[in-house]
Amino acid sequence: MIKLLLAFILPALLAAAAPAPVGYDLYVAAAVNKGYVIGSKIVTMNGLFRRSQQGEWQHIGYNDTSIRSFAIDPRDSRVIYTAANNGCWRSLDGGATWRITTDWTLTEPLQVTLDPGAPDHVYLAVPDGVVVSHDRGQTWHRRETGLPDRGKYTQTIQVDRTHMGRVLAGCESGIYLTDDGAMKWRRVLATDTTVDDLQQSPHDPQNWLAVTQSNGAWSSHDGGRSWQQLAGVTSRKPLYCVVFDSTNPRRVAIGGWAEGVLTSEDGGKTWVTRNAGLPDGHRVKRLAVEPGSGRLYAGVTGEGLFVSEDFGHTWKHDGFESSDITSFVFVPVLTK
Amino acid sequence: MKPFPYFLLGVALAAPAAVQAQPSFAAPPPPATVVQDAGLRREQYFSRIDEAINWRNSQVKRDNLATMDMTAIACKLVRHEDIEACSARVIELMKDPGTGPFWMFPVVCVAYTGRGLLSPEAQAAIRHAWRTTMQIRGDTENHWAMYYTSLYLMAELYPDEPAETWYTGKSSAENLAESRAYLISWMDLTTTVGQGEFNPTGYITEYAIPMVFLASWAKDPAMRQRGHMTLDWLFADLAENTLHGVLRGPNARTTDIPVMERWNDHASFYSWLLFGNTPPTAGYGGFGLYFAVAAKNYDVPEVIYRIAMDRDADYVQRDLKRSRRRWRFSDVLSSPVYKTSYMRRDYAVGSYQGGAADPIQTHVWDVTWAVPDPRGVHNDMFSNHPYSSPDQLQAWFPTYPELMIPNLPAEGKPSYDEPDKILGASPYEQVFQDLDTVVALYNIPPGIRYPQINGFFSKDLADFSVDKSGWIFARGGRAYLAYRPLAPYTLTPYRGYLQLPSNEGYKWERVATGDTLLQSPHLKNGTIVQAASQDEFKDFAAFKAAINALPLTFSLEPTPTVKLKTLRGRDVVVTYGQPPVVNGQPLDYTKWKLFEGPYLNAEKGSRKLTITHGRLERVLDFNTLSITDSILP
Repeated sequence: MIKLLLAFILPALLAAAAPAPVGYDLYVAAAVNKGYVIGSKIVTMNGLFRRSQQGEWQHIGYNDTSIRSFAIDPRDSRVIYTAANNGCWRSLDGGATWRITTDWTLTEPLQVTLDPGAPDHVYLAVPDGVVVSHDRGQTWHRRETGLPDRGKYTQTIQVDRTHMGRVLAGCESGIYLTDDGAMKWRRVLATDTTVDDLQQSPHDPQNWLAVTQSNGAWSSHDGGRSWQQLAGVTSRKPLYCVVFDSTNPRRVAIGGWAEGVLTSEDGGKTWVTRNAGLPDGHRVKRLAVEPGSGRLYAGVTGEGLFVSEDFGHTWKHDGFESSDITSFVFVPVLTK
Repeated sequence: MKPFPYFLLGVALAAPAAVQAQPSFAAPPPPATVVQDAGLRREQYFSRIDEAINWRNSQVKRDNLATMDMTAIACKLVRHEDIEACSARVIELMKDPGTGPFWMFPVVCVAYTGRGLLSPEAQAAIRHAWRTTMQIRGDTENHWAMYYTSLYLMAELYPDEPAETWYTGKSSAENLAESRAYLISWMDLTTTVGQGEFNPTGYITEYAIPMVFLASWAKDPAMRQRGHMTLDWLFADLAENTLHGVLRGPNARTTDIPVMERWNDHASFYSWLLFGNTPPTAGYGGFGLYFAVAAKNYDVPEVIYRIAMDRDADYVQRDLKRSRRRWRFSDVLSSPVYKTSYMRRDYAVGSYQGGAADPIQTHVWDVTWAVPDPRGVHNDMFSNHPYSSPDQLQAWFPTYPELMIPNLPAEGKPSYDEPDKILGASPYEQVFQDLDTVVALYNIPPGIRYPQINGFFSKDLADFSVDKSGWIFARGGRAYLAYRPLAPYTLTPYRGYLQLPSNEGYKWERVATGDTLLQSPHLKNGTIVQAASQDEFKDFAAFKAAINALPLTFSLEPTPTVKLKTLRGRDVVVTYGQPPVVNGQPLDYTKWKLFEGPYLNAEKGSRKLTITHGRLERVLDFNTLSITDSILP
């Protein structure tokens, strides 16, 4: 009963009680890697940036070229986690000070994710599996029962926002699901290439989308238990990200290398390419949709940030020239 | 990834004056005389250290502090010279700190050599940088050796300080504990299943420097001892694998220049410094100067010195190493590397069983011949499959594949995606060595990028000829060489890589080197090489006749297979994908020891290396952290 309360009722009550945001601050992780190798001097500013509603970018924390992903505690935006070369960093004071929460036994994590139902629970996708913290990164534990000894390279990890401890991991060998906070995993989709991104629909929590490096895109309508390949989405080109539009349940977008931006406005049944205004090569690494406005953002490798006000019909450059944008987070602003 | 050597760039730009001022670099090669007297050996070792430091200090212009980088500061401090200028320069440099292990270890060197010398303000500036500037850890074993050694020593230098005073957000005690745990883990791995980045021609310096720092400055006697013992381990391995001071193949990592000019990388600086048996490389190995700063805290054990210098017989040495870790697309995280060396006075043959030990810079096998002066000489012969694969790179690096290959030239690896490259290993190469015979077989699936075999023929070979039998004959120094391609080929001029001055990553120009490249565009393929000393035959014609008389049959379909009697009278059968058979006995790699040979011996898993030369014996026992020297009966 308590589990049920924590998993479903409490989040719903909290959500209902929360005031509606008046806007969103956009956070991105950006890196300008031109000419940088380990040992050379970093001559550009990299790492986390926040854009206020007034449109000003502010750098947060260290000048770190290696951030692949970050997460912000939904209860307190001063609590920030990054997945970077050294491991998982955490700041409790909005980026003024940081701590590497992991040690030498974990390296080069690819994604950090918080459980919306229990934000002290932090999940880390690492090149050799999955690690979990239940105390905001103070301690970490490998949670890999059910993952294969080899084939557990984990690119992406996402928590079901409606069910605490229900997690999907995108690995080298497929998609794995756990219902118990990663104590036990089971494979729900076998792939022969890495699953690059997983996202849960903001409209129907049973709906998920996944994209892979060369096995195309997949959808699930039962909370990730079973998956069906999306017709009309290429398997020949690597797909790196997928995103739902929280303002319109029929809109989804996929980003990839060479393919650029694929959009669907019928819930994934049909797809069209929308790259007008994006640099040649269409090397889209990350996509994001701003809640509330439906504004679509794209991080284009080596080209910076791009934005579309019309869901990909047209794009314009929006800063971070020559940069890679590796991760987006929107933080609701509750008061003006 | 490889560090960008700004320092070397500076040396290169200042080349005319700087190079002339390097006595041993410019002088004739040192005599190969074994120095019997221990006192004299140490005196000469100190003299070489002093030469390197003198040279670096001579580059500093007192009226131009910009000529004083961290290397110069360390060299000045160790001499207790220009302390005021050192302090001022440290303060200036710490205003704009770098990041990563290649910034960290120089600062550690200055911090320790500057104890009691640098001004309080300069020391505070160093300490401040370690609070405010994030240090990236890197992604290779050499990065981590430098990173954790640096963090360890700084945590010892500033003990009992709270988390908020370190960039890690961890206290001195936490940093110390983590660093210690990693270093011990790495030493454990190395002393049980073998070193990962084994016999690197350049990266040896990235291991030697942190270990000499630990041996010199670690407060904890156990860690100091570990540093000392690991140095012995590394240098015994270096001594065993050098031919008159020149490190030859195989190498987990090397680069496009030393893969042909075997002398021309940092390993030669260490041979010069420790043994005095080959000239140092330009600028005394660049980073090697940091080793020199602490080198007087280390004694080269006589037993290791004699392995490098005093060999009276040919020997076979078999070593166990391990590959770099593969994150994905592999059934194993790290695979064993079974390495064979056959060392003779006039040449050496070395190999491992094939496959990739490292994703980009591995050199699997070669015959290297001795030359009186190795500078500028391309003294080896080998073949390889120029394998290039973005998917394969993903096995080793947790990143997306598309930009990895395009970015490699700017990261110091210009040849990776070139079909005529001579550097790099392939999963489709299988190598067998028996004494001075090498059989390399290739079974390349259709569709693989660059379906060809490359063979390297040096500009320094003499009497090169293609025999009607199919053998290619040549002389390298005092070695007679025979190379048998197993499929049709063409010979074309080889173009190497000239590094251009650049402040924005590496830039390269392809230039003719005078060498010749064999290119054989056939998926089923192979190379046989046999070598001998000219002393063994009446003349070169007699060697050719002997090779031509040896029974040899081979077929390439369906699987490359070679059956031959070697010059040493062994019956060898090598079939791709199967264990090689010698005199009817299949080779069993599972019995391979960590080290096995006349000089170095260790059981797998033992953490214990026995180093022997004549009656001299040193045992490095990492179980007890003890060094035991004995005079054998």
